[in-house]
Amino acid sequence: MSKKIGDVILDLQNISLRFGGVKALTDISFDVREHEIRSIIGPNGAGKSSMLNVINGVYHPQDGKIFWHGQERRKMEPHMAAQQNIARTFQNIALFKGMSVLDNIMTGRITKMKSNFIEHALWFGRAKNEELEHRRKVEEVIDFLEIQHIRKTPVGRLPYGLQKRVELGRALAAEPSMLLLDEPMAGMNVEEKQDMCRFILDVNDQFGTTIVLIEHDMGVVMDISDRVVVLDYGKKIGDGLPDDVKNNEDVIRAYLGAGH
Amino acid sequence: MLYREAGQFKTTYAADQQLFPIRQDRIGVITLLLIAFIGVPLFASEYWFSAILIPFLIFFLAALGLNILTGYAGQLSLGSAAFMAVGAYAAYNFQLRIEGIPILISFLCGGLTAAAVGILFGLPSLRIKGFYLAVATLAAQFFIVWCLTKFPWLSNNSSSGVISTQQLIIFGHELKTPTEKYLLVLSIVVVLALAAKNLVRSSTGRAWMAVRDMDVAASVIGIRLMPTKLLAFAISSFYCGVAGALYAFCYLGSVEPDGFSLDMSFKILFMIIIGGVGSIMGSFLGAAFILLLPILLDVLLPFFAGLFGLPFSSATVSHIQILIFGALIMFFLIVEPHGLARLWQITKEKLRLWPFPH
Amino acid sequence: MNFFFEVLIGGLLSGVMYALVALGFVMIYKASGVFNFAQGAMVYLAALSVVGCMEKGAPLWLAVILAFAIMTLFGIATEKFVLRKLVNQPPIALFMATIGLAFFIEGLAPMIFGSEPRALDVGIVDEPIEYILENFNMVISRFDLVAALVASVLVATLALFFQYTRIGRALRAVADDHQAALSIGIPLQNIWAIVWGVAGFVALVAGMMWGARNGVQFALTFTALKALPVLILGGFTSVPGAIVGGLIIGASEKLAEIYIPPVMQNLFGGNFGGIEGWFPYVLALLFLLVRPEGLFGEKHIDRV
Repeated sequence: MSKKIGDVILDLQNISLRFGGVKALTDISFDVREHEIRSIIGPNGAGKSSMLNVINGVYHPQDGKIFWHGQERRKMEPHMAAQQNIARTFQNIALFKGMSVLDNIMTGRITKMKSNFIEHALWFGRAKNEELEHRRKVEEVIDFLEIQHIRKTPVGRLPYGLQKRVELGRALAAEPSMLLLDEPMAGMNVEEKQDMCRFILDVNDQFGTTIVLIEHDMGVVMDISDRVVVLDYGKKIGDGLPDDVKNNEDVIRAYLGAGH
Repeated sequence: MLYREAGQFKTTYAADQQLFPIRQDRIGVITLLLIAFIGVPLFASEYWFSAILIPFLIFFLAALGLNILTGYAGQLSLGSAAFMAVGAYAAYNFQLRIEGIPILISFLCGGLTAAAVGILFGLPSLRIKGFYLAVATLAAQFFIVWCLTKFPWLSNNSSSGVISTQQLIIFGHELKTPTEKYLLVLSIVVVLALAAKNLVRSSTGRAWMAVRDMDVAASVIGIRLMPTKLLAFAISSFYCGVAGALYAFCYLGSVEPDGFSLDMSFKILFMIIIGGVGSIMGSFLGAAFILLLPILLDVLLPFFAGLFGLPFSSATVSHIQILIFGALIMFFLIVEPHGLARLWQITKEKLRLWPFPH
Repeated sequence: MNFFFEVLIGGLLSGVMYALVALGFVMIYKASGVFNFAQGAMVYLAALSVVGCMEKGAPLWLAVILAFAIMTLFGIATEKFVLRKLVNQPPIALFMATIGLAFFIEGLAPMIFGSEPRALDVGIVDEPIEYILENFNMVISRFDLVAALVASVLVATLALFFQYTRIGRALRAVADDHQAALSIGIPLQNIWAIVWGVAGFVALVAGMMWGARNGVQFALTFTALKALPVLILGGFTSVPGAIVGGLIIGASEKLAEIYIPPVMQNLFGGNFGGIEGWFPYVLALLFLLVRPEGLFGEKHIDRV
């Protein structure tokens, strides 16, 4: 591999998250380095998605610290994560069902648009130029993901696999420095998985995007990740290179479900 | 064969992002505008102007306002009529209290006042959704109408809040005939409709639709929910406010707060449900449908009653109207939730293929 | 001070009436997640059915039974022809459908039974209770008190029904999770039909009470509008919430109507009556900002 893994850009320290009496995450620490593919694995209900939601500010942990590029992040709202160039996809596809593929991906660039609603209403000057300029960028994403033929289709009408791809496109349109992917390959057949893997690796390779990935397919995870963190019942039970994790006893126990 | 986009290749993104990308649509819209501006004034009677065309255009504008809020931004409102009232009374007061203010500026200020009030009543939308929000807009409906009735200053101390609007003077020329009023309303409505079309195809519109379709995902993408929702409330109320001002100045000439009732709000809501939620064309078709249906029923029902020899009172006719409205709402929600606009679209798609079935 | 209590008690008693209507909402919302805007129209239909049948010569008891039959049939028809067709639509579409339903009823009911306002005599006189008038010097309506008793009995019955009967348990299961309820063999559609039947019954009781008090007229449909703030205060899913919310709204709007206008009059001059028209909404709205889930509602966590 030619890519160079850089410094730690995201550092989570002793994160705990509760919903009422339910502990979703307990005292979890791990970090993410620049340009790496960092996977989070674990059985259902282990707290993987909650972890992503903490990273991009949908959930607010009760305890723990988060450092982003060395600076401590205080209270943060989801839209601020977007401004810090963190993009994500969701486990259950969260596309905007009423809009076309093109419009969905265009929304991905919304933080980069400067014109205001009055200019939009008049469709004049900056509004028009911006629309064209971002359309060009969006078309690059569309080319990259090979979805030119469905550009104008409402996303609600697309098959599952393509919807997942469009969602990735929407995240990519933001030109993120970090991309959070929540089970991007769930429910896909082998071919679709291969395509998705290729896209993820290409994104990581060509754009140097740091990727945090949640995935159940162990083959894929062990293949493409640089480092893996393992959660079970909201606790961290393993962290390290794919091979180390694979041989970690706690991890094996968690997956095979042999006694506690 | 007539309606087909084959052969119209777009070589630039600019061409693809035009207001009406398909040539036949452009021709259609221009023809419609020519008819509305030139053809109709030549041929329509006074009754048509004052009883059908002017209210139709005004309610199209109000439905457009509600559609921006409910159809595009996904925030249900049951208080559209109250925002129309704000627009009407504000425009009246600007005319009354500021010497020599042009009438169009008054309309604009009326709209802006409604927008400000809209933002105020939109604030709860930041914490609540769905029918909870519907209740908040009901608060607007009742509270605003009450205020207009009870604060005498707002209606220049007239009894029970009735106002008679000032003369319509534009560039020193007083608009008196229904034709002139029609042309004024038409011009304003066309400008605002085009602006709305522009808004919903730009990133403002995409932000609204994103919030409507999935607000969590929208915020993760970087859309700030608060300004987006409040902007929808403001622009929607602006449209309703201007519609209200036109309703007072160009249609009735004299209005009272109770005229802007909950029933009127429902009527506007029905327009967008039947016409098509989230569609500008839908607001147009819905307004036409809801306004024309009662007129049609007024003519048809007694006719059929006479045919079968049934006794028919005018009360019965109005009951049947209400019943049919209700039935239609349920029918459209069940059979075609995207309303007449969707039917129109399907027709166009069929036309595209015609005369070949596939 | 006596006057204050008189207003307060009067308000609380009329709050019971609001609660009665709100109960119908809660029933349907709990079991099917539908916010039934037509509840007020159903109250109107129920009351009209009773007076309509009595005008045709039926005695009160028969009229009530007939009205109950009409309401049940109507509820089942609504479930079968409207709501079942809208399963899996967003809640807001269902809500709008019930607005359509409300208009449908408001057109249909007077066509069948006539639209002129009529009195409904259920044998209770609306006059002050002498005992309280003599000993405490307060005017408390006998009718309001009876209505409150009826409402209490109804609420108790419903609570028991929900808690201890088979159908009640099934209802709660359906309310919790449609899919899960289906998968253990609860016939969803029968349950919904029953719920609409029960809601029709609640509407009948409310319609008779309101009708006897204020006459059977179109204004009965507005009771639904008043029930909305009650629901927001109490939470959409809570039977006790509907009661408490009803009491709060009833009491506070009457107190506001008595005590706020004089203050406003001092400030601005003019007449500021009619505050009770909007006060409940503004109160509910302010309350929403503090506690969006209502007094007794369950807090909702958005899952991503």
